[in-house]
This record gives sequence, C-alpha cells and structure tokens, in this order.
Amino acid sequence: MKRLSGLFWSILFLLVPVLGVATFAVAPAYDIWLPKDVSEHGAAVDGLFYFILGLTGVVFIATEVVLFWFLWKYDESKGNGPVKYVHGSHTLEVVWTIIPAAVLLFISIYQMNTWADVKMRRPDMAPTVEVIGRQFEWRLRYPGRDGMLGTPDDLHLVNDLHLPIDEDILVQLKSMDVLHSFFLPNVRIKQDAVPGMKIPVWFKAREEGVFDIVCAELCGWGHYKMKGRVTFESREAFDRWLERKYAEQEATQPESTAAVAVGQSADKELLASR
Amino acid sequence: MSACGSVSSQSGKNSPAVALEETSPGTSPRQRDRAIGGRGSTGLPWLLLAAMPLVAIGCGPTPAASFRLNMFEASQQRLKPSQEQQVATILAAMFGSPDEPVVLAETGLDEAKLQLAAGPVRSDIVGRKNGLYREHCAHCHGVTGDGMGPTAAFLNPYPRDYRPGVFKFKSTERADKPTHDDLVLVLRNGLAGSSMPSFDLLSESKIDALAEYVKYLSIRGEVELALMRAYFELDDEDQGKLPETREFLVEEILAPVAEAWQSAEDAVIDVPEMPADIDLVASIAKGKELFYGNKANCVKCHGVTGLGDGQANDYDDWNKVVLQAHKTVQGGLEQASKASTWEMDSDELSEHEADLVWLERFGKVLDGNALQPRMIRPRNLRQGIYRGGMRPLDLYYRIHAGINGAPMPAAKGTVPPEDIWHIVNYIRSLPYDFNGTLGVDRPMVARDRL
Repeated sequence: MKRLSGLFWSILFLLVPVLGVATFAVAPAYDIWLPKDVSEHGAAVDGLFYFILGLTGVVFIATEVVLFWFLWKYDESKGNGPVKYVHGSHTLEVVWTIIPAAVLLFISIYQMNTWADVKMRRPDMAPTVEVIGRQFEWRLRYPGRDGMLGTPDDLHLVNDLHLPIDEDILVQLKSMDVLHSFFLPNVRIKQDAVPGMKIPVWFKAREEGVFDIVCAELCGWGHYKMKGRVTFESREAFDRWLERKYAEQEATQPESTAAVAVGQSADKELLASR
Repeated sequence: MSACGSVSSQSGKNSPAVALEETSPGTSPRQRDRAIGGRGSTGLPWLLLAAMPLVAIGCGPTPAASFRLNMFEASQQRLKPSQEQQVATILAAMFGSPDEPVVLAETGLDEAKLQLAAGPVRSDIVGRKNGLYREHCAHCHGVTGDGMGPTAAFLNPYPRDYRPGVFKFKSTERADKPTHDDLVLVLRNGLAGSSMPSFDLLSESKIDALAEYVKYLSIRGEVELALMRAYFELDDEDQGKLPETREFLVEEILAPVAEAWQSAEDAVIDVPEMPADIDLVASIAKGKELFYGNKANCVKCHGVTGLGDGQANDYDDWNKVVLQAHKTVQGGLEQASKASTWEMDSDELSEHEADLVWLERFGKVLDGNALQPRMIRPRNLRQGIYRGGMRPLDLYYRIHAGINGAPMPAAKGTVPPEDIWHIVNYIRSLPYDFNGTLGVDRPMVARDRL
C-alpha cells in the first residue's frame, strides 16, 4: 500500500486537469455552455471570455502538470534522501511576478473598448422601457405614445418584456426595495439595480425569440423565482403588441371572451413561428 | 425541497450540530470529545459513526403534508377535543388530504385540475410539473390556505387567509364570491403594492388549476367554519356530536357554500359604458367634487391630499377577529382575577375555573395560530399603484362594490353609476396632478422626479 501511494496520489491529482479540460470539451455538446447570443455586442464579450479562458486554461494545465510531476518524482517511498532546505530563487520570483502583471495590464487595456461600448457609450435617446426590480418580480413601464415616462399614457406591465430588434434599446433600471441584478443571458447584459438610482442599460438585439430575464443578485428568499421573459420581435409586431396591451390597460368594459381568445391565439402564432 | 432539508428544518433535533451532541447522551465529556473528532487519527471513523443516525433519520421520507385544523375558530367556539376530532374526520372524508384531494360533485370543482395543483412538487410520467400550489403559493398562504405559511409573518400586508371565503379584488358585488376569471386575473397580474407576485409566465392550464385549488381550499375552510359553528346549535339529545348524515353534511353545510361560489358568475357587476364623448376635464372636476363631497366621502379615509392619510386606524376583517379575540382573552383574564372565588358556590366555582382554563388555552392558540393584528392603511392614491388592477374597469368595480373584508364601503346606491365614472377619472388623474413644466427630465409623477 505504502509503495503505491506516491503513484496513487500523483495520478489522482493528474485527474484534476484531465477531467477539468474534458468538462469544458464536452460542455457544448450537452448544452451547458454559454447560452445563445442574440445581441450585437455579445460577440465581443464572448471573445474576451474565450481569450481569458484560453489564457487561464494554459496556466492551469501547466500548473497541474508540474504538481503531478512533483508528487511523482519526490515520492517519499522512493527514498530520495533527506529533504534539503533551499532559500528559493530570486530570479524565478521576479519572473513569475512580472509575467502575470504584464498579462493583467494587457487584459485591462485589451478589454477597454468593449467595456466602453457596453457601459459608457450610452446612446443619446429617451428610455425605451423602464425596468423596476421588486421582490420578486420585474415591473415594466413603457413611455407610451408621447415617448415620456411618468405621464398618464404609460403602459404598466409585469415580467413580460417585449422589445424590437435591430434598433438601440435603452432600459432605465431601478429598484423598488433591495439590490437586484437585471440579467439577460442571451444578450450578455448584467447590471445591478440599486435602490435610489436610475441606471441606464443599452443593447441591440439581432434576432427574434423568447428568452429569460433572471435576477443575478441574491435579493431575498424568493430570489430563485424572480424570473421574467423577454420577447424580441420586429418593430411592427412590437407596436401591435404595445397597442393591444395599452387597450387592455385602459379597458372600461370586461373583455369579451372572443377578444381574449383572438389576442392569445395571435400570441401563440407568434411563438410558434419562432 | 429535498427530503433531507425538509425534515431537518421541521425538527431541530436533526440538525447536524445537535445530532452530534446527542449521539450518546450518557457518555462523559471526554468520550464525546472523541466522538466529535477532536482526538487525532481515531476522529474520522468516529465522526462517520456519529453521522450514521443522521443519515438514517435525516434523509428518510418526508412525512405527508396535512391540513391544519382551524384552532382559532375551534377555541373560539369552545369545542371539546372530541369535537375537534370529529371536524377533522368529517373534513378528511369530504375533502381528502393535501396530497390526495377529493371533492364531492356538489362543490362544482374539477378534480383533475386539483390533482395538478395538489401534492408535493414533482413531475408526472410525461414530465408535466405537478404540485403547483406548494411550488408557488404554500410558502406564504400555507398548505391549508390559512395565510400562515413560513414567510407570512414577514409580509405586510399579510397573505390572504382563504378559509373565510372572502376575497377583495373581484368583479362581483361586495358580498359575492369572485368569479374564476377574477382569481385568474389576480394570479396573472399579482397585487401591485403587496407581496403577491405576478404568475403571468405560467401556462393557462396551470393558472387555471391554481385558481381551482384556491377555490377548493376556500370551500374547505368555509365548510370547516360552518361545522365548528354548528355545534352551538346542537340539542341536548345530540350529546355534543354533529350528525354525520349526508343530509346534514352535504345539504345543510356544503350546499350553501358551494352555491355561493357557483352563482358568482351571475353576480358580476353591470358596468355602464363610459360616455365616449366624455369631457375629461369636466369629468375630473366633477369627480373631485364627489371625492370631497358628503355622499362618496372618499376624503374621510384617503385624506384631503389623497395620500391615504385620512382615518387610518381601522383593521380589515381578518385582523379584526384576531384583535377581538386578544381583547376577549385579556379582558376575560382581567375580570377573572378580580372575581372573588370565596363568594361562589361550587357550580359557579367550577364554571369560573373552566373559563380560566379556556381563556388561557385560547391565549396560547392565539400566539401560535394567528398573526399579530395589523392596521390597514387607506390607499395612497398619488402613487398610481392599485392592488386590484389599474384598469378604469377595476377602479369602477372597487368604488361600486367597495372592498369586501376591508373598510372601503360600496358607493352602490349612494352614488349613481355615471358619477362613479367621474370619480374613476379623478382618481386616475391624481398621480399626475402636477402644474410645472413637462419634459423628459421633468415627468408629471412626483416620485419620478426624485
């Protein structure tokens, strides 16, 4: 048993890089990789992700292989003699301090343009929609025909966000109670909602479809169920939807069941066509 | 929820730290030290051994969920334990359990829908999600629908207690039940300004099943109340037992409850069309007059500013009964302490002692089975947040029929229908009552300008 242990432990630790890399290799096949990206800036974000993943992956594999080699080579049972104390290598330490520092500096400069696109170069426009995080739902407010929030023709909805594709979207993000985080995985957008702040979030969707809105900041016991839905659709479909929702909001008579059925079947057709 | 988690959360004895302490109560501190793994190499096996009972007990099957008896009402009606038992038995026969609901045809409920909503959260053979009520509702409204789930005490307002069968936001007259569509609408939109979220993203059939289940819990709760109150009317020859005949249980107890639910559709308020050529400015002015006037008198509670700062010291019906019970217990105990027992004869004395026992028991039931009563606030009409929906139609229903269970009275009968539309228009203008310059940076709503 003792004779085997050096080999055993070194092989065991070699499994870490082997299985680690294997996990990443098969993940896309099992659909546990990055969600589908339908945004304009998403490719740049994903590019940065892959770049850093590659960089850290190489370092990870190298470190793990060295660890394996040390475990195997300096196995106690091989009797390599008594352990000797060495102070270390000054040159080596300087090298492995300067290289990561240079890499970090490179990454911080390399990502700057993408960061500015996503977080700083805000399109000059009035908000398309206001999203308000609240325990545990996303309350939405569209500005209505006058394009201005806070007027009587605002459209108020919950959880069911619709947006047009191929144009700039500016979301005004607020929170009614605690910290939330507005996360659109398929648009590569994640922004904390902070009580007392209006935070602008912008993006452009390229493809129609129905995707999740999730909360990415632990906001209380119901955090796990704070889920919404975003529907990207053509400008015409979006306008039609706005009209219909506004008519529903302004109803002065109970809806006749026929009208409801028509609305719902139109929704279903829309979903089926995707 | 895993079996492990739910069991250990139900009984503190199974939480890991406690289990380790209690593995062998007879051992000396030194031995226990070893059991916890404090001593060298023997620690690990000992620790594993100590964890064995934890694995055996902690991860067993979760005990089946059960309905909680309405102890509040049982205490209030001074039911004997045998009578409580009888009520529980009758209810189990008529309504089944949370895992296996059964309904009599007389309830008018659809058992297939109930099956979808009832039981523990699980997927059936085709992967369809079952147990919807416990997935989405039970943590606030409770498995029994008593509005006392684990999270209830932290919410303001408290979650609805379905058992009295009273619902606030509906399209029917004040005393009537909500229609199925009313419940569906609440589930879809949630109640803005309360902790009730929107379930709009659930499929139509799921929402439908949940609304049906709410009706089931409500009918069950109402039948329970009716049964407990029926003991009061028993004759001496009944010997304190309700007759368990179909005639009594179904026709006398269940039928009136079920009929009220089934006739809800007929009680929908007839809303007159708002005149298409209505002059909005004049209508708002008229509505304002009515708001402050004697007949509608909205100003009394909603305040001269509409901020909901008028009379604000009232309670809703659910809190009122609890408050009243607290007063009964406190007053009763106070009076009993002043009574001079040495003047009583033996009959009076035994009655006095029985009263004391009941008061103390009722007090304990109140602590464990009711939430602390809280005052209800009249709505702040300047915020544009309306729990029962923001459509003009919803506001019309609220003003016409009032809010059942809450102090909001019905304007029906005192204010003519066309005047109700004027009030609706005025109410809807309140959040936008702003006389400054408008612009993207200067919206009309005061809270948006902040």
